[in-house]
Amino acid sequence: MWRVIASVLAAFFGVQKESRRREDFSRRGAGAFIVVGVLLALVLVCLIALVATLAAR
Amino acid sequence: MRMRKRLVWTASGVALAGSAVARASGWNMPVGVTDLSQDIYGLHMTIFWICVVIGIVVFGAFFFSLFRYRRSRGAKPSRFHEHTTTEVLWTLVPLLILVVMAVPATATLKAMYDTSEADMEVMITGQQWRWRYEYRGEDVSFTSNLATPREQIDGQSAKGEHYLREVDEPLVLPVDRKVRLLMTSDDVIHSWWVPELGVKQDTMPGFVNENWVRINEPGTYRGQCAELCGRDHAFMPIVVEAVTPERFASWLDERRSAAAEAAMGLDREWGMDELMERGQEVYATSCASCHQPDGSGSPPAFPALAGNQALMDDRERHVETVVNGVAGSSMAAFRNILNPVDIAAVITYERNAWGSETGERVQPSAIAERLAD
Repeated sequence: MWRVIASVLAAFFGVQKESRRREDFSRRGAGAFIVVGVLLALVLVCLIALVATLAAR
Repeated sequence: MRMRKRLVWTASGVALAGSAVARASGWNMPVGVTDLSQDIYGLHMTIFWICVVIGIVVFGAFFFSLFRYRRSRGAKPSRFHEHTTTEVLWTLVPLLILVVMAVPATATLKAMYDTSEADMEVMITGQQWRWRYEYRGEDVSFTSNLATPREQIDGQSAKGEHYLREVDEPLVLPVDRKVRLLMTSDDVIHSWWVPELGVKQDTMPGFVNENWVRINEPGTYRGQCAELCGRDHAFMPIVVEAVTPERFASWLDERRSAAAEAAMGLDREWGMDELMERGQEVYATSCASCHQPDGSGSPPAFPALAGNQALMDDRERHVETVVNGVAGSSMAAFRNILNPVDIAAVITYERNAWGSETGERVQPSAIAERLAD
């Protein structure tokens, strides 16, 4: 699970090691990546909303 | 080491000289006379120099590599696919630079939007093609028209120092007071822009936008409409006269008594000569830009008044058109723009100038009654 989160975060950032990419693609199915990706996207939106609220105070 | 030191000194010398040249040449944006305009200028220069440094570093590395590692010197390209550390660095560094720029920019934006705790309010209304100012709660309002003579625009006389940047009545504001500006429009979108006050705000029909200024130095500040609003977009300048609070208070008193004097003209009968004289002045500032100084108009958008027999035969329609405008056309309702004396005078003038000598006078009192309905 931790590996999936790390890979999704790497994708958000835009940089990933080739060896990690190979490992991820050797997994069966992309379901875990999609679910974690959607969840982390929501976290990112909340985080930006929080920063914007703090800045507007 | 000495070489590097000399480079740093040269670079900062060039930077300083660059700033001075940019400011003196008038190419740069003005520093302005409000705290906010100075903040905006500071941000502009900070971000400008960040961009200059990035440009020098990026293109410096680029041209150095091209020159130093060229093939004729036997350079061999290295072939590798990925380098995680470099990739992380070139993502993080721009991110940090953006955050460093965003923090002061956000602080300034927040200050710009904070229109609370104002000492006074001015309503600014854009109209094709003039500005109307109303000092809220002070019973003072007036229209500010272009004051540049028609001959200068037509090239028949030399252009003045403030060509197309001068008005008959400037917006007078006190220094050291927070003034909330409420902005709207009667017709199309205009934009009230005075660079030295750091204010550029769209005025939209049906909306009221807010902005504010606190001017630090007395003086005359000029601006223009910054949103293409039709044929005379270039002919609706803005002039702000910033004065001390004491002078502002006495100016307000003067304006109030001037308004009372205008009201005085309503209870007497006006003679032909005074109506014609005043009518000619009003026509020149409020009508001539569309209907032309000689009344010939620019058909079909702006009908001719000179020799318009149908209009001369129908006085009622003439008065109605000037007072209430023509819906769906550029003809404004002048009941909101001119006082009754001016309306009566300009109609009298139009009915007796350019060969249409109807001999009719339109009395200010009659217009005032009509406006009261």
